[in-house]
Amino acid sequence: MALRMTTQRRALQGLGNGVLVLMLLWTAIPFYWMIATSLKHDKEIYGYEATLIPQRPTLNNYATVFRETPYMLYLRNSVVVAVGSTVLSMIIAVLGAYAIARLDFPGRALLARGLVFTYLVPTSLLFIPMFAMMSMLRLTDSLHGLIIAYLGFDVPFCTWLLMGYFKSVPVELEEAARVDGCNRVSALVRVVLPMSLPALVVVTFFSFTHAWNEFLYAHVFTSTTGARTVTTGLVNFMSQDVFFWGPLMASTVMSALPPVLMFLVFQRWVVKGLTLGGVKG
Amino acid sequence: MGTSTTVSLPLPSSRRGLGWRGDKVQRFLLHDRTLGYLFLFPALLVIVGLVAYPFASAIVMTFQAKTAGAPGRFIGLDNYRELFSSEQFLRTVVNTAVYTAVGVGIKFLLGLSMALVLNQERFCNNLFRSFLLIPWAIPTVMSALNWRWIFDDASGLINNILVRLNLIEETISWLSNPHLAMFSVIAVVVWQGTPFFTMSFLAGLQAIPKELYEAAEIDGASVLQQFSYITLPRLHPIFITAVMLSAILTSAAIQFVLILTNGGPADRTMIFSVLSYHLALGGAQRLGMGAAVSLIFFPILVVFIVFLTRRMLREKGE
Repeated sequence: MALRMTTQRRALQGLGNGVLVLMLLWTAIPFYWMIATSLKHDKEIYGYEATLIPQRPTLNNYATVFRETPYMLYLRNSVVVAVGSTVLSMIIAVLGAYAIARLDFPGRALLARGLVFTYLVPTSLLFIPMFAMMSMLRLTDSLHGLIIAYLGFDVPFCTWLLMGYFKSVPVELEEAARVDGCNRVSALVRVVLPMSLPALVVVTFFSFTHAWNEFLYAHVFTSTTGARTVTTGLVNFMSQDVFFWGPLMASTVMSALPPVLMFLVFQRWVVKGLTLGGVKG
Repeated sequence: MGTSTTVSLPLPSSRRGLGWRGDKVQRFLLHDRTLGYLFLFPALLVIVGLVAYPFASAIVMTFQAKTAGAPGRFIGLDNYRELFSSEQFLRTVVNTAVYTAVGVGIKFLLGLSMALVLNQERFCNNLFRSFLLIPWAIPTVMSALNWRWIFDDASGLINNILVRLNLIEETISWLSNPHLAMFSVIAVVVWQGTPFFTMSFLAGLQAIPKELYEAAEIDGASVLQQFSYITLPRLHPIFITAVMLSAILTSAAIQFVLILTNGGPADRTMIFSVLSYHLALGGAQRLGMGAAVSLIFFPILVVFIVFLTRRMLREKGE
């Protein structure tokens, strides 16, 4: 019997290794193609002389992106929107989550429910009335408008995630602080927040990458170059007449890099935060 | 509020620092109830202003003929009537169902296999895991653009390779062939979305106590038996959460179809989010029609959303 188990184990390990190789290829090949294209001359990209491996790698496409397109502006807009909405949603969420986790008042449970519910309503159900509302408030074509719009997703999610962490901070610690003369606010700042640092990291990661990756609102609410973020800017490159895959792939590589690097750095926390509930994606 | 944590004289708190009146105000402000509403007010404002109000106005809009910036004109159920008699809408319903079911199904199976494989012990496993999760971290727009180029008729990667291997005479139009377009789009959805399932399932697998497997092994349970009597039941709650969440988000995701096929060819890949986008923001700007398309799908989504809300709050002990 022991022998049978070992054979089964070995067979499974072999199978697992085989599947892993396939999965790695399936994941890696699109990345490869994106990066390879961005390093090629046009001659190697199109037509009979097209290659699978760049024969004479070049950074020309990257130079073209910066020289001939408003990519830098899009990049700046994305940073502004991502930082703005992250900071705002963080402040709103910390306060809200603390209230739900620690303070006792009527309507608390209902509000908690409302938060999760709103987090789960997809933006594709809301973009039409949001567009009408933004036009009415003259917030289309503006970075402020986008920052505000993104709060609709970020705040419910961040509040929900922080709520759980705040609950896991022992009440005794906070009570001790209050005996020592802290009020609620300073107990929150001095005791609860430092102990929830991992959660704050996760929440920052999610709201930042969400704003960076968001497409629908950015696409619908902006129609001029001045307010385009990276995602909608690149799609706009594509829909213009000049269809240039080399520079387009170069800008794709550059735009994908920040969230990927952030993910690799914070991976451990992110996976933990994700499995605590669910995350859009 | 000028008190601090330093060792202070054991005075009753009402005498500390502030005068009698200030203390009363402070007491009122720091009362749980007042503070609770004060702290939640901004979050509430966001929920009402950015989700509840737009949602309510979407419902109103569906009964109106409305363009952006102009007030709507009440037309009763005309929008709904027009939709249900349109072949395009009926096709969209079928497409959305197929797209979501097949997409989520494949993501589930691949995600489970990936998680099982990554749960085995092996050299450099952490490295492989990080790498396999990257498609999830890439902005979906970038993935969609990249795949559009991979599928390109003339010089895309797939046709490039197939031609080199002499497997095809003429290049294949992956995104404009009516029989292939939907599957090509689903392939991209799967590529991007599998890591989410992998992450969820892997975390679930790692939470199963090793002793269960050891005990089963002593009792002579085969690997298959261990899988079906220990692994599957333990993962069951995660299965449900992940599938529901993914079904909501897959069905509602707009960027893949919008970038890859824009709903074409001949509406073969038209899903509800894209149709509603076209109706509301395409040439005619019929906001009411667009909103109606989204709203017809909402009852199905709401079942999932309510169920998930309960689950997610239970996990938090609310």
